[in-house]
Amino acid sequence: MVLPALLVLVLVLAVGLGSVAIPPGDVVAVVWRAVRGEPQTDLVTAPIILRTRLPRVLCAGLVGAALSVCGGAMQGLLKNPLADGTTLGVSSGASLGAVLAIAFGFAVPGVPFGGVMLAAIAFALASLVIILTLAYRLDASLSTNTIILLGVIFTMFTSSVVSLVVTFANDKLHSITFWLMGSLAGLGYTHVAVLAVAVCAAGGALLACGRELNAFALGEDNARHVGVDVRRVKLLVLIAGSALIGVCVAMSGVIAFVGLVTPHMMRFVVGPNHRRLLPASLVGGAIFLVLGDLLARTIVSPRELPIGVVTSFVGAIFFLAIFYRARRT
Amino acid sequence: MTRRLTPLVAAIGLSAALLGGCQSTPPDGGVTSGAGSAAGVSVTDQAGRTVTLDAPATKVVALTASDVEILYAIGAGADVVGRGEYADYPAEAESVAVVNSGSETNIEQIIALQPDLVIVGTMAQDPEQADQLAAAGIAVAVTDAQTIAETYDTIRLIGALTGRADAAAAVIDDMQATFADLAARAQAVAPTPHKTIYYEVSPLEYGLWAAGSGSFMDEVGHLLQLDNVFADLSSWAEVDQEQVIQRNPDYILTVGMYFGDGPTPIESILGRAGWESVTAVKNRAILNLTGDELSRPGPRLADGAQKLYDFVYADGPAEPTR
Repeated sequence: MVLPALLVLVLVLAVGLGSVAIPPGDVVAVVWRAVRGEPQTDLVTAPIILRTRLPRVLCAGLVGAALSVCGGAMQGLLKNPLADGTTLGVSSGASLGAVLAIAFGFAVPGVPFGGVMLAAIAFALASLVIILTLAYRLDASLSTNTIILLGVIFTMFTSSVVSLVVTFANDKLHSITFWLMGSLAGLGYTHVAVLAVAVCAAGGALLACGRELNAFALGEDNARHVGVDVRRVKLLVLIAGSALIGVCVAMSGVIAFVGLVTPHMMRFVVGPNHRRLLPASLVGGAIFLVLGDLLARTIVSPRELPIGVVTSFVGAIFFLAIFYRARRT
Repeated sequence: MTRRLTPLVAAIGLSAALLGGCQSTPPDGGVTSGAGSAAGVSVTDQAGRTVTLDAPATKVVALTASDVEILYAIGAGADVVGRGEYADYPAEAESVAVVNSGSETNIEQIIALQPDLVIVGTMAQDPEQADQLAAAGIAVAVTDAQTIAETYDTIRLIGALTGRADAAAAVIDDMQATFADLAARAQAVAPTPHKTIYYEVSPLEYGLWAAGSGSFMDEVGHLLQLDNVFADLSSWAEVDQEQVIQRNPDYILTVGMYFGDGPTPIESILGRAGWESVTAVKNRAILNLTGDELSRPGPRLADGAQKLYDFVYADGPAEPTR
């Protein structure tokens, strides 16, 4: 398979290239010494690579993988090519949860970022339930337009509540809203570990639904007829998806377009079968975000671009191209 | 303000003029003062507009924090009838009515205070807002200071508008004296090559932002013989933390705020992964300025310079000022 090999290549590239230029030989030497547990000789490049660049690259990969597999699963479940955490309003719901947790100092003792993460997950799930309930009431067929329109309205609503909370909160929250716009800077190995657990658990659950999601493509009734427990699968996908998006938002803020575009790109590569599409989205999303972050870090070095600028720019162009091709054929 | 060097003020004032004050161009037009009580004022503000008042302003609304500080510093604090919401210094200012500023500027709110002068900054304010106020018959003066020299111009301008030109001159002399004194003392003791400093304006958790050249921190650092590690960037810029580690500053100045929970800004920098090799972190040479001393174009730039001088040359690593 080409994709995992490409991911490895991109990971190596992203650790090797950065705002500070470090010769490839030195990068290899530093990583090799770290792997063998030998003491580092260069005390400037070693911490740059091992303690800031590597964890950031790994987080970028995990967040990209998580968002994309969620996007792929939700697009399949809702039979809606525009479904994704950001378009459905799930991400903005999660960020509202995160902001409230920070504003009211909600913490889980002993769990790093526990409070923010739990609140983000809870609000992500609640947002999805609210949007889908409203959508069912308005339009039982759950048409693309209804859901996306509700997602847009819900996003506006949550962001106005966030603004309201920020207006009455202190300066700290002011800064946090910037962070909620998406940033991978300053992420460490604790974040890597939390994200890895989330991707393995919730991502694994989504991957396991591939066969059922294929049945959904023919309609819920057909899925039911071929023996799919429609209710269970729906619940599983929605809960696992919201949880993943919640964790990602708590770690890195809202990063747009990754979850929306990657599954579409992957359909070109592996086709619409979810048993292949979901793993491909997982890997493809990691590649996309690692590359995007690499661009954000290096393109205007020593300055840094917000990651959302890069993903939206690239994602929007890709999406337009896909949309154009799909409509013409 | 330090006044302990009054006997040296004349001599030092001269060298201050050479050090930075020489670029200072006073707002032309100056003060046209008539005899007796009916003293009219006509000055050019820092947007090049002519501001004319029948008499020195006695009811002033200032939207920018630094302009409020200047008004209080020149003794016009009692004339301030409204302040922008970020104007939090001096403490007396907190009893003054708050008005919205920046994009949320509320013209009606300002008119309701019946000021005879509104002072706005170009940084936060739309030009149209100034025009709107002018259309309502209220005199508007625009301030815009990017350097210490331009800050003197602002002080001079506000002094002229409030009929306190002498007090404004005294504040400027004071600042110049402090800068000249600190610069001379720094020059005497600073090592060659210069020590380097990194100015952190936003902490890593919210995206790392550094002050580059063209910032007040950079200018004050120069006076104190400190080289900004991000001199290649202009004003403020988001940077990758790799860059800080590689550029390895001898000192770090952070303006991060502490909100009473979690690590303080200094503790958080000391605890950052990968920063262990940075000289400033190894030596715990981190200063936390929390009073906006070096971020506002006002009289307290001199206080900020004094604190930075004390930190680098006198006290060494200090506890954060809270």
